Amino acid sequence: MSKGCAASDAVIVHDIEQFLYQEARLLDDCKFQEWLELITDDVRYWMPVMGRRYRKGSKGMKALDKDQYEDREFSTEDELAIFDDTKDSLERRVARLDTGMAWAEDPPSRTQRMISNVTVGHGDTPSEMKVNSNFILYRTRGDLEEDFYVGSRQDVLRSEGGKWKLSYRKILLPQNVLSSKNASSFF
Amino acid sequence: MSLDVDNLVDAEKGLIGRAIYIDPQIYEQEARMVFARCWMYLCHESQIPKPGDFCTTFMGEDPVIVWRDTEGKVRAFLNVCRHRGNRLCRADSGNAASFTCAYHGWTYANNGCLVGVPHQAVAYNKNFDRKKWPLIGVAQLESYKGLVFATFDPSAPPLREYLGEMAWYLDAIFDRREGGVEVFPGVHKWVVPCNWKLAAENFGGDSYHGPWAHRSAMSTNFSARRPRQNDVQRFHLSPGNGHCVMGRQPDDASDAPEVVEYEKEGRAAVRERLGPRIDLVRPAVGNVFPNFAFNRGTASTIRVWHPRGPERTEIWSWVFVDKQAPGAVKETIRLTSLRSFGPAGTFEQDDIDNWQECTQTARGPVARGHMTNLQMGLGEEKFDEELGALASDFCISESNHRQFYHRWSKLMNTKDWAEL
Repeated sequence: MSKGCAASDAVIVHDIEQFLYQEARLLDDCKFQEWLELITDDVRYWMPVMGRRYRKGSKGMKALDKDQYEDREFSTEDELAIFDDTKDSLERRVARLDTGMAWAEDPPSRTQRMISNVTVGHGDTPSEMKVNSNFILYRTRGDLEEDFYVGSRQDVLRSEGGKWKLSYRKILLPQNVLSSKNASSFF
Repeated sequence: MSLDVDNLVDAEKGLIGRAIYIDPQIYEQEARMVFARCWMYLCHESQIPKPGDFCTTFMGEDPVIVWRDTEGKVRAFLNVCRHRGNRLCRADSGNAASFTCAYHGWTYANNGCLVGVPHQAVAYNKNFDRKKWPLIGVAQLESYKGLVFATFDPSAPPLREYLGEMAWYLDAIFDRREGGVEVFPGVHKWVVPCNWKLAAENFGGDSYHGPWAHRSAMSTNFSARRPRQNDVQRFHLSPGNGHCVMGRQPDDASDAPEVVEYEKEGRAAVRERLGPRIDLVRPAVGNVFPNFAFNRGTASTIRVWHPRGPERTEIWSWVFVDKQAPGAVKETIRLTSLRSFGPAGTFEQDDIDNWQECTQTARGPVARGHMTNLQMGLGEEKFDEELGALASDFCISESNHRQFYHRWSKLMNTKDWAEL
C-alpha cells in the first residue's frame, strides 16, 4: 500500500496479487469466457500508441516554438490507440475467436504471462483500488514464431459482491514500432 | 545489372511468378526502379500545421524528414547528416528551428542549410564551404488535398499527372466536405512478415477475400458491412498508372448509425463538390501506386507499406475523419477504425497471416516455380467513360491486381517515363 501498512492492507494486497495471477492463468489457458467474468460492465480497456520525441531541452533539436513543445510519448484518451475497448467489444473479440474463422488465431497462439512489480494504492472510491503491474507476455505461433511483449499496466480493480473485478486497464507497451505482426492477445 | 521481370509478370494471362515476392535481387531493383522514382506519400498536412513542425518517415528504405520551414513552406530532406551519414533526427515528430547531429554536431536549419560546423574556423581548410553541404532535398514535393507526396526523381511527371484520374477518387475520400480531412494524433506502426506488394494488391483490388477471410470480424459486428447479393458491376476500378480503387454501390450505407446519418445529411454537399460521378460509385478502398493505401468504411485509415526487405513490411497507419464532422461521428470512426484495422484490428490480423504465408511459401524453389493465378474476370474488364477507369464486369474480380502488376513490371523494365 502506498500509505500505511495495516495488517488488513496486507490481506488486500495478497488478494489483488492472486487476482492478477489467476487472470493471467485464464488467458494463458485460453479460457476467455471466464476471463470476461472478471471484468466490470463499464470497463475501459486501453492501450495507447507510442511516439518518439526529443526530450525538452535536448541539444539535438532547437524548438522553434519552445512554449508549445511537448515531449509526451504516449497518445491521450481521445487520440489513436492500439486497443480502446468496452466490455461489449471485448466480448465480441472473444466471440470472434469462436467463429471457426479467426484465421490469425487458428491454430491458436500459445502464451505465457509473467506478472510482477505489483503495487497497490487506494482508488477514487472506497470500493476501488489502483493497481500497477509489469508484464512479459511470451507468445509462440506457427513453427518458430516468437514474440515478447514487455510493458506495464495501470489498473483499477473494483470490489463487486465481494469479488475483485477489473474496471479500468491502461496498457503501456513501450515499442515505437511494434515488432510483432499483431496484438492478437489480451494484455 | 537489371533483371527482365517480363517472364515473371504476365498480366495478360493473369499469371505471377513468385520470385517477385522473395528474390533479393528483384527487391534491390525495385528499390531503384520503383521506390526511388515514384511519387511517395509522406504525411498529411494536418500533422505539421505550424512553422517548424516536422515528422520523419521513409521513401522506400530511405529515411526522410518532412519539415515545415520558418516561412511555412513544406520541405523534405534525406534524414542523413552530410558529414558521415549519421541519422540526423531521431524523433518521430515535433517542432524545430534546427537539428544538430549527435555525432560531431553539424547543425541544419529547417530550410535544409548547414548552419553550424563545430571548430570550422580552426579545423577545416578555409575553402570548406558550408553552402555546398546542405541536407539532400527530394527532387519534387507537392501536396494534393492535404496529402503530401515527394519523389527523388527529377524526371518524374508532376504529381497531378502521375495521379491522373485517380485524383478524383482521392477527392472522393479526402475532400468530400469543406476543410477536407484531418488525422488523429498517433500512428500504428508495426512490422509484418510479408512482401509489401501483397498488402498493396489486397487494398487495391481484393474484394474476393472479404466475405471469407473477414467473416469472423463481420459476424461479430466489427463492421456494419455485410456481403450483398446485389453488388453489381463497376466494383473494381483502375484509373491508370497502376492506381487501384474498389468502390461500393453509391447508396451503400453500411456504416455505424451516426455515420450513416452524417453521410445522409451531407449528401448534397458531397455531390456539389465531387460532381455526378459520386452517384455512380462510392469509392471505399484503394492503393496509390506503389505503396500508399486508404480505406473508408469499416475503418478510415491512411497507410503506407514501407518495404523492409523482400519478406518484411513496416505498416504505418493513421485514422482520418472529415475535419468538419461532429465530435460524436469522429469518436465513432476512431473506435471502429482501431478495433478493425491496426495491430489489434480484428480484420487486419487475418489479412497479415495470409500475406505472411503467401510470401514465405515462395522460399521453396519448387513452390516458387509454379505461377499464381490472377485470372478472375480475365478479359471481361472494360474502360468505363463515366468512371474514367478500367472497370471489372462483376463485383469480384482480379482486374485491379492485373493492372497493379502490369505497372510494376513496366517500371521495373523501363528507365524513361515517356515510355511508360
